[in-house]
Amino acid sequence: MKTIALGTIVAVLVWAIPGMAKDPQTQYKTVEAKHFTRAEGVELSPAFSDYLYAELRAELAKARLFGQVIGEDEVVDKADEPKSIVIVGTITEYKKGSVVKSAVIGFGAGSRSLKVDANVARRGDQQNLGAIHVHVKVSPRWDEKVMARFAARDIVKQLKNLLKAEAKAS
Amino acid sequence: MYFRQAGHVQCSVLLMCALARVSAGADDPKPTPENTISVQLAEPVKPQTFSRPLKFFLVDVIDRSGTAQPMLVFKPRGGIFLDRTPAEITRGGLETCLKSANMLAADRDSADFLLTVYLFNFGLSDSSGMDFFGKVEFAALLKNPKTAKSQQITASGTSIAGVAVRKKNIQKNVKEDIERAFGDALRNLLRGVKLRDAVSALDVPTELPATPAQPSAPAQPPATEKPLANRMSR
Repeated sequence: MKTIALGTIVAVLVWAIPGMAKDPQTQYKTVEAKHFTRAEGVELSPAFSDYLYAELRAELAKARLFGQVIGEDEVVDKADEPKSIVIVGTITEYKKGSVVKSAVIGFGAGSRSLKVDANVARRGDQQNLGAIHVHVKVSPRWDEKVMARFAARDIVKQLKNLLKAEAKAS
Repeated sequence: MYFRQAGHVQCSVLLMCALARVSAGADDPKPTPENTISVQLAEPVKPQTFSRPLKFFLVDVIDRSGTAQPMLVFKPRGGIFLDRTPAEITRGGLETCLKSANMLAADRDSADFLLTVYLFNFGLSDSSGMDFFGKVEFAALLKNPKTAKSQQITASGTSIAGVAVRKKNIQKNVKEDIERAFGDALRNLLRGVKLRDAVSALDVPTELPATPAQPSAPAQPPATEKPLANRMSR
């Protein structure tokens, strides 16, 4: 009985471990995220762009899709350029929200919201790999930097899907 | 009788003032070996290669952060202090990186370029409260001593680290966060396009005789260009 149980555990481990240990294949050697620009009328604190940039880099590193997450305007070897991508983006809309509306009406009314548009391009030939649109809504009581965290997470999630679709197509 | 009552009131007011002062003093954290961290680069950043081998000499690192306590990086929970000043850490890190690539000049005369670093931010910055936001920002003034021409390059590094509950873990996370941000800033400077462009603009080919150093208009130290970043409330 013990031998059967032990055998079952070993079989399960043998089946499961390779899947757990294997990192997803890194399609691209480097990724560079630029500081996102702001559209006219977007009133966010000056530190917000830095924070979004830091969160985006942290999320990109966590995703393990790329060999290296490089800094803004970093020199890349010519040989690595076709296997490198650049993410540029713009914060297109920011609504501060209303605590009163949120408390009185509820159901998402008066939420603080942020819209971000990003473009992913290959460094070598500047070919556009796709566009990313993110819309984040949070409670108006929360700090605006929480939105940066959620936006960065959404951008990387969409980027993952984009690269997956591109890999399938090629 | 009246004077005795007035005396009591005066005494109690004085006592309250003294207590308030003592409690205010107790809020200020003091550096101890337990709450002091040592920020060091995990590994030196490899600078980019230039068309010809160049030597840099680090003239000075000047702290322009305007912080009263530059070594205090985290105030709550008894505080977290750096073991050296941010200027010393920056100097040490930059010299290590240049030395590792054999790009550090022994003295001013043997250098192709002189570097003066103006430090604006070193430590933690305002975060969402769900993590620590490390930020290092500085400007480097690159000067060619042969032509006396100079250019300014800005560099910044950021990092995000998770929050912790235990003091020991907070210290660990803050240390790692600042180290990563510092490494990132050095990488931004030494491997950045801005340095490459500045060097190619200022470098004099070795075949051409360099024009003698002229007393040109001195480059403005970048005090006025301090970024308007929100510093962490300390």
